[in-house]
Amino acid sequence: MFRYPIDQSSPLLLPPASRSDRMVFQLDLLILSYECSAPVRFFYPLICYLAIVSAWAGEPPSRVVSINLCSDQLLLMLAKPEQIASVSRLALEPNSSFMATSAARYPVNDAKIEQLLGLDPDLVLASEFSPQPVVRILRHLGYRVEMLPVSSNLEDIRRNIRYTAALLGAGARGEALIEELDHRLQRVAATAVESQPSALFYQARGYTSGLETLQHEALILAGWRNLSAEKGIRGYGAIDLETLLLAKPQQLFSSAYAPGTDSLAQRQLHHPALNWITQGKPIINIPYKYWICGGPMIADAVEALAGAHPAHSQSASGEERE
Amino acid sequence: MRRSGASGETDHQARLIAIMTAVLVCLFVLSHFIGSNPIPVLAAVMDATGDTQSVIAVILTEVRLPRALIALFAGATLGLCGAAMQGLLRNPLASPGLVGSSSGAALGAALALYSGFAASFWLALPAGGIIGSLLATLLVYTLAGGSAGTATLILAGVAVNSIALALISLLINLAPSPYAVREIVLWMLGSIANQSMKEFWFLLPGTLLGWALLAGTGRSLDALTLGEETAYTLGVNLSRLRWRIFIAVALAVGSAVSITGAIGFIGLVTPHLLRPLVAFQPGRLLPASALGGAILLLCADIGVRLFPAGTEIKVGVLTSLVGAPFFLFLILRSRRWQT
Repeated sequence: MFRYPIDQSSPLLLPPASRSDRMVFQLDLLILSYECSAPVRFFYPLICYLAIVSAWAGEPPSRVVSINLCSDQLLLMLAKPEQIASVSRLALEPNSSFMATSAARYPVNDAKIEQLLGLDPDLVLASEFSPQPVVRILRHLGYRVEMLPVSSNLEDIRRNIRYTAALLGAGARGEALIEELDHRLQRVAATAVESQPSALFYQARGYTSGLETLQHEALILAGWRNLSAEKGIRGYGAIDLETLLLAKPQQLFSSAYAPGTDSLAQRQLHHPALNWITQGKPIINIPYKYWICGGPMIADAVEALAGAHPAHSQSASGEERE
Repeated sequence: MRRSGASGETDHQARLIAIMTAVLVCLFVLSHFIGSNPIPVLAAVMDATGDTQSVIAVILTEVRLPRALIALFAGATLGLCGAAMQGLLRNPLASPGLVGSSSGAALGAALALYSGFAASFWLALPAGGIIGSLLATLLVYTLAGGSAGTATLILAGVAVNSIALALISLLINLAPSPYAVREIVLWMLGSIANQSMKEFWFLLPGTLLGWALLAGTGRSLDALTLGEETAYTLGVNLSRLRWRIFIAVALAVGSAVSITGAIGFIGLVTPHLLRPLVAFQPGRLLPASALGGAILLLCADIGVRLFPAGTEIKVGVLTSLVGAPFFLFLILRSRRWQT
């Protein structure tokens, strides 16, 4: 039923799919022209110049559609407004999306294939968590789909920013974002003190964040010890209430997905023993939108965590910054 | 029915109750020794009774004690209400789980919880459970008709249980909390993990009230075994008895289920296991079944904590795994009687 619009067996005839492909395409032209006859070789410097210029000035995509919250946010941060054709519906949800206000200016999609075809994108941004059938069909129909890997540490975040920026032809903007992120993290690191009080994340349904999570990374950067990581928990996992109490955390953090709602899972956070173990210090809530996706907003989380640190806790903690 | 003299009967009953109470106390104590981490329980007791508040004391009093108490009260409630309903409806398959009391309670409690009402008003959760339980029980009773046969009652129960389940899943899908989605399992199978004393206090008033209402019904239930007319001549006001038991079940089961979810099969199985030990008398069955229900649920809860799975399984999974085959056995046996 679906057919490739262009025969893929002859790559040189294809319009290059991505920026890196385009570079290879230009390089092929260079080699080809060098191996050609003398008259062509005479123009070699000119061809070389043209190839490089066209590679750099290669038209950035002008109708970018994102179908995942994580790519939505990077797209909104990096792209020129006229490049953005659509973002996913979740980008508008203020608890999940750091960019909810700017997302409101664009059409939303629900990652449904017919809807996406109607948007006629020249680049579709997705993530590893995007529905695979949608990605497969889009690629099958010849659309360019780029997938953002999930970030579980700072290096991943920097890599994703650079990657998205390169796709959008916004390299400078990407570098500026990374620089600002590093600057803010350095400012937090500069206030570091000797003591590292113990903490852990305790979420609805008794989940916690161990090694290889953004919460772990942010806790360490803000000068805390992450007891869940020390207990050998990797990624997100359940921590038993008794185990938590025996670990004796000095501070509990949480990151409610939807504050102000009620469920059995959320009621677990009101267990009186939790209050006792931290000597009455309430669980500090760090907004979930800072790390549901990796991005420069991790700096907000690190600053909030550092603000809750007993060494400089005079500043109110868990505040939201917009 | 009466096989021995009244005094022998009383002795027998007293001995049964004493033995069951002793077993229950042992299980209740044992329950405090079992958790995800080994703690020195005796030292914890010393700390808890003394003035030093240590972590182990908090684990004992704030984690293990409420769990054991809730298992005890919820189990006793289910056993007692199962016995009362089987006596009232003179139907071996009547039980809170099958005639809709439990699932109605789960629906009512879920409604109170996910609407956010229970967050602002603590009584809303057990009250939701009580009202849901009463409505569902009355609905099944009305659907099945006053003098319903086993099959009709079960069919009406199945229908109301399905409606309650469908409404709970609809509710959970519409709930503003994103965490709600996975909680349908908790409501339909039941769990008593991670409860605190707060939840126990939610559960306590309704269950005690329900128990108190059921306490005096033994004699009427005994009379009812002789048939409705005979019971009437013996001074039993059947419609008052029916209302009293329905309201008592709603109070007790509604409060318990609003905390634990609909734990299956305890209310069905317990009376059947104990009936031969009380000479098939519904009045004597009531206290025995209450103790038996508490014993079964405590056992099941100790069982799930000993279960060598990575994460703890829900207690309702275990009771259903054990209870469902028993239910099948009951059906097969009743079929044999009919043929």
